[in-house]
Amino acid sequence: MWLTIYYIFCYLIFTYTLALIVTYVIMVFLSRRTRQKLEINMPDDNTIKFLLRGSPLTPAVSVIAPAYNEEVVIIDCVNSLLQLDYPDYEVVIVNDESTDRTMEILIEEYKLIEVPYDIAMRVQSKPIKRVLKSTDERYSRLVVVDKVHGGTKADGSNAGINVCSNKYFVCTDVDCVIEPMALYRMMWHVVNSPAPMIGVGATMLMSNGCTVQDGRMIKAEVSNRPLPMFQQLEYMRSFLISKLGWSAINALPNISGGFGLFDTDIAVKSGGYDPASFAEDVDMLLRMVTYMKNHDLDFRLAMVPEACCWTEGPGTVKQLFRQRTRWARGLFEIVSNHRKLFFNPHYGPIGALTMPYIFIFEFLAPILEMLGFLFMLWLTPTGGVNWRSAFVVFCMIYLFCLFISTAVIYNDYKIKAVNWSSKRMNYLKLMVASILEPFVYHPFQTVCSNIGYLRFIRNTRAVWTPIQRQGFKKKDQ
Amino acid sequence: MDTIAYIRYYLYYVASFLRYIVSFVATKLEKYPTEVKVAAVISVLCGFTIVVIFIRMLFMSGSRKNLRLLREHTEETYVDAMKFLLSDEAPEQMSREEICQLFGLDPAVNPEPLKKAKEKQVFAEVFYELFINDKSESVRMGNIHTMLEIFGIPEHLEKEVSLSAKRNKVNALNMIRAYGLSISPWIINKLLNSKNLRLQRLAMYTVIVSSSDSSMDYFETEFFDKNSCIKDEIELAYSLNRRRKAGLKLPNLARWAHMHKREFTQCLFVRLMRRFNQVEYCDQLKDLFRESRKKKLIEEISRTWGYLHYVDGEQMMIDSLLTQPDDTKVAILHALTRFGTGHGLDALLDGFHHSHNPHVRYEALRCLYNYGTEGRKAFDKLELEASEEDSKYFSFFHNPITLAKVRLDREQAYHPSMETVLNG
Repeated sequence: MWLTIYYIFCYLIFTYTLALIVTYVIMVFLSRRTRQKLEINMPDDNTIKFLLRGSPLTPAVSVIAPAYNEEVVIIDCVNSLLQLDYPDYEVVIVNDESTDRTMEILIEEYKLIEVPYDIAMRVQSKPIKRVLKSTDERYSRLVVVDKVHGGTKADGSNAGINVCSNKYFVCTDVDCVIEPMALYRMMWHVVNSPAPMIGVGATMLMSNGCTVQDGRMIKAEVSNRPLPMFQQLEYMRSFLISKLGWSAINALPNISGGFGLFDTDIAVKSGGYDPASFAEDVDMLLRMVTYMKNHDLDFRLAMVPEACCWTEGPGTVKQLFRQRTRWARGLFEIVSNHRKLFFNPHYGPIGALTMPYIFIFEFLAPILEMLGFLFMLWLTPTGGVNWRSAFVVFCMIYLFCLFISTAVIYNDYKIKAVNWSSKRMNYLKLMVASILEPFVYHPFQTVCSNIGYLRFIRNTRAVWTPIQRQGFKKKDQ
Repeated sequence: MDTIAYIRYYLYYVASFLRYIVSFVATKLEKYPTEVKVAAVISVLCGFTIVVIFIRMLFMSGSRKNLRLLREHTEETYVDAMKFLLSDEAPEQMSREEICQLFGLDPAVNPEPLKKAKEKQVFAEVFYELFINDKSESVRMGNIHTMLEIFGIPEHLEKEVSLSAKRNKVNALNMIRAYGLSISPWIINKLLNSKNLRLQRLAMYTVIVSSSDSSMDYFETEFFDKNSCIKDEIELAYSLNRRRKAGLKLPNLARWAHMHKREFTQCLFVRLMRRFNQVEYCDQLKDLFRESRKKKLIEEISRTWGYLHYVDGEQMMIDSLLTQPDDTKVAILHALTRFGTGHGLDALLDGFHHSHNPHVRYEALRCLYNYGTEGRKAFDKLELEASEEDSKYFSFFHNPITLAKVRLDREQAYHPSMETVLNG
């Protein structure tokens, strides 16, 4: 009896691993397909700029950045956003009742005064106290919203959606450095789609280790410190393989909250961000998809690897642990809240493929890995492990991980997604990270995910703890 | 040994090596269970792919480096002359000899300055970058064409369009369109029937720029109707503008607004009519306005009539104002303001009183404010009588920042003079 259970478990795990490998290989091919499509449909930067800059039809965008106690980085952030290269956009900074000098600094630096503003509360957010605009013509694009403390980024973003006046909005964080051409590249996909484009994702990368000056990325580099290095590889794998692959079949499951473009109207109709959610970006996108499908409306979702946004990631194990347990809770929440989408062909490829994939290969993976590890620990002293076979299976998994990392680097090289200061050096760092990752970083992530799941089940109250900002100037040093 | 025999030998060697690896792995794994065999095969495949990817990247890095060096050399040698040619200081009509002299060439010694296709491609790319970023008042296209001919660029681009990979075809077509070069009809016809949407569309836009025929029947297809998007409108506007600048007749865009079924495509052509001031065809939109149930189309027609001052449509718009959806109401109110005939004043007041949408009410007030002396009087009267709830609409007009920043319709960029009309 026990032997049968043992065999069933072993074969189940092996089949699961094989299925995961097959899925990843499909993703690599799908990302290749998207990459080839992009090569034809995406003209060079000069042409894009020339066509969009000169046309009154180019859609206007609102860039929304919620801020809470961001006095260290706020000026750099606003300057970076005001320097974006795009013909028609506004920058909406939402101050979530900061307890530090964020608001005072903004008022002093940009000569802000309160203006009457008719605000329709289209999506749920805490009340808006006042809206401020600059008396200086140079900052005419800037709108600052001062609101009652909501405590989450989602609440701040919703306030920004309520104030923004354009057909599209981009949601970002104050610590993000956006590539100047990013909006043009994203907008090209919007204007190039016969069906309404409801969301466009960009590539998020780690700014740790990079040189930023006046809100602009001067030197893009992979950090020398191990944690940011592993995270960089992880981000690139997620954006340049997984999301690029899903976008080939219009089944993108997530547009990052760090930098993503959305159709304002559809976002409002589907309720905006959920302030109580731990994965508000995935949640909103899935609600938008649900809305479109329930109303039988055609839509598109796209991923633009060439549009890069740099964000400061957790630099210490403690911060990373907090972030990952929160993400794990978010994943659990998504799986339980959007279960009606699972294997439901009514919701198109997202329902039929992406959601089952998320459940089977992203949600279950940490649980199975943990079980497998404990099972191995139990078998070792009893002599139940065939070490030669185990070694071959381990080699398979390890080499497959290396293959995926190589594919990521190749995609980046082909698309020229990231403008690295030195390709050779940074790719070498990424390869080193990929060699070490399965032994160091991945087990840590598995533990974080399982703890996150447990906390979700036990309904432990989570506190939103933002990452301790270093500020760009300190980072430069 | 000739090259083909060498390649054949090489391929045979690679194939036998792979066969050896496979049989070696198969023999070694014979006694192992299936899962170990599967794992071993996957491991070998992964290892092999990693090596192949790295070798490929190594080769690509070499060719990219060569290209970069070639580009640097081209920029160093020709960029100053190129910039001069694009500047306002360049003479109106330069002879072939003058241009050769400018670029430091001696036609007697070197009749073909760029020999390799790669050199021509890099030269074309460098010049294209300067050309489309150029902000000078008037570009002398005659000089540019002569310069391109000296360097053999037109023939090179034609070759690229007909023979190279899709990506290069797209780039070459973009350049041909920007420079307004003509292209062999057999090549363009092949592209007009291409299965690739991007190539097909680009071929259309390229033909528009230089074709003497204004029938352009390729826009009459259902395929265009189904797949049109904002980018098509942007590119069409650009190509038609180039055509107009070249002194060629523009097609009747109202005809296509009638012909297509999809609302977006119809709106696209109506907007283009506005862009190209086709007042003479506004009559043809009357039955569309009267009979169509498509709200966006009616909105666009109203806007177009307003911008083109087609006063004959005013009464139709006034009659239908209160039965239209909110966005269309706003477009009609703006159009009536632009006419400024005095007949629209009551309609503007109706727009304020009979609408529940705050945006429509605000826009109606804005139009009244800009509707000459009569309008301003009516506005002041409304402000005096305004309830507490309504007073928020008026507060906008007394704040210097919001008044200055009142968002103008995007389409007004076509007619910047309207900006002054709207701001009073």
